[in-house]
Formats: sequence, C-alpha cells, structure tokens
Amino acid sequence: MTDELRFPASGDRDSLDESLVSLVREAYAPPDGDAYWSGLESRIMSRVAGQSSSDSGWWNVLAPWARPALIAAAAIFALAGVIDQKLIESEEQVSYDSLVQSVTPEVLTTTQELSSVERGADGATLSYFLSH
Amino acid sequence: MRIPDEERALAEAARGGDQDAFAGLVRLHQRRAYLVARAIVTVHEDAEDAVQDGFVRAWQSIDRFDPSQSFGAWINRIVANAALDITRRRKVRSTEELSDALRSPFRDPALDAELNTRLREALSKLPDRARSVIVLHDIEGFTHVEIGEMLGIPGGTARSDLHHARQKLREMLKDLRG
Repeated sequence: MTDELRFPASGDRDSLDESLVSLVREAYAPPDGDAYWSGLESRIMSRVAGQSSSDSGWWNVLAPWARPALIAAAAIFALAGVIDQKLIESEEQVSYDSLVQSVTPEVLTTTQELSSVERGADGATLSYFLSH
Repeated sequence: MRIPDEERALAEAARGGDQDAFAGLVRLHQRRAYLVARAIVTVHEDAEDAVQDGFVRAWQSIDRFDPSQSFGAWINRIVANAALDITRRRKVRSTEELSDALRSPFRDPALDAELNTRLREALSKLPDRARSVIVLHDIEGFTHVEIGEMLGIPGGTARSDLHHARQKLREMLKDLRG
C-alpha cells in the first residue's frame, strides 16, 4: 500500500466520523474464528487440487506434442496437396494421350476419305468437261 | 514496497507447482481478500465464492505472477474481478434483499437496532461502486489508486466516487448523527 491518505487519518476533512465508520465496519465484519478460515482454506485448496488433477489428464500429457503435431500435420497436408496435384496432372495427361491416340486414326481416315471423295468429285467434273 | 521474505518464498515455491506453498499464501491473504470481495458483493456467501474463485484463478495463472511484486495486491485484484463478475451475474437485486444481505451474521448483536437498520438501508441505496469504494477506502484502508486497480476505474474516479458516496451516506443518516 502507498502512503496515500487513508481514512480516518487526520487531515481528511471529507471523511466520515468515527461512529459511522464503526457502524459500517460492524456491518462488513468478516467471519470470526479460526475454524471458519481453516475451513475456507480447505475448500479453496480442495478446488485447487481438483484443478491440478484435471490438469494432469491425458490431454496434458500430450500437450507438449501439440505444436510438433500441428507442424507435422501441416507438412503432411501440404505434401498431400502436392501429390494430389501431380496425380491430377498425370491423369489429365494420360486422358489426353489416350484421347489423342484414339481420335487421330479416325481423323486421318476421315481426311483420307474426304480426299478420295474430293479427288472423285474432281475426276467426275473433269470427265464431264472432256466428254462434252 | 518490500515483500516479506516468507511471502516471496511461498510465491516462488507456488510458481513451481508447490500446493502447500500456495496454501500458505491462502492462509496469509484470505481474510483481506474476503474483505475486498465483501465490499463489492455485499453478501457473505457471494464474497466467499469470490474468494474461492479468485484463489483458484490465481493458482491457474500463478506462472504469470512476478514474485518481486506483492502477492496480496495481485490476489486482491483477482478476487475483486471475481466479485465484480458475481455482481454482474446478479445485477438485479431488490433493495430489500440487499438490505437483508447486509445483516451480517457476524456483527456485534449489541449494536443499536435502529442505527443498524438505517445504516443497512442507507448502504443498500448507494450505487454498487460507491458502496464498494467507501468500504474499501474508509473501512479497509485501501488507497484510491488501489481501489481503482481493483475496480477497473481510474484512481481519480475512485476519489470522486468516495466523495459523493460519503455525501450521500451523510445525507441519509444526518438525523442519526449527533
């Protein structure tokens, strides 16, 4: 506590008179008797002990591992993300390749057929002009 | 402020997890802590709850306590906060109930009945904070700054509250004073 002025120190002109202070003090008197205080201490320490025992649960045994576990989980998550991305890219490539391989011969065939059709059409036109 | 060697040793041991040392701190400070709580919550049972809650909170955060500081000032602030929490939870309370609550079972039964009745009524009519300030300062001897820290208000506000609380109390009891 500081040396600030306290009631009922002399010089505190605003202070209540002693009789009133005595009455208030009586109204707010703390429990008397050591039994009460030792009982209160026991209740407090019982709660503290309960707190401590709950603090020593399995989750507290594991608590020191929480940070490394979080870091490891984050690393695994990131790695899984990278692997997943690679797999997706790989699957896309395979799909693309298979699509290209299966479509290309048809395209070529179609192109050849078109060419022959075009050639056939050109030949027919030429025959028509020659014969007339 | 010089911290007594016994308190410092107990606080340091308690910080290391020694419950017996913490019990020693409880023994040293529970009466004062009770008075702080009682000034705020008024009701004996609530004051006791606030003291218990305060010490349990202190134990939970004992590693944050600086042993070079006063454990008493630290625990009083924690208990005051616990008492304020209880007050907030039980904000609605009639004047009659409060007046009954002030009828402490521990007071001197020889006190004049009318004086006590009037005093209880007058105290119950004071705003919560004004009543706390007047009891903490005029009865328990805390400074404005200490009261401000406990109640979460500036020291100047505590001083102002005290002045107005005294005026009101005097006004309400003026016909009883000779």
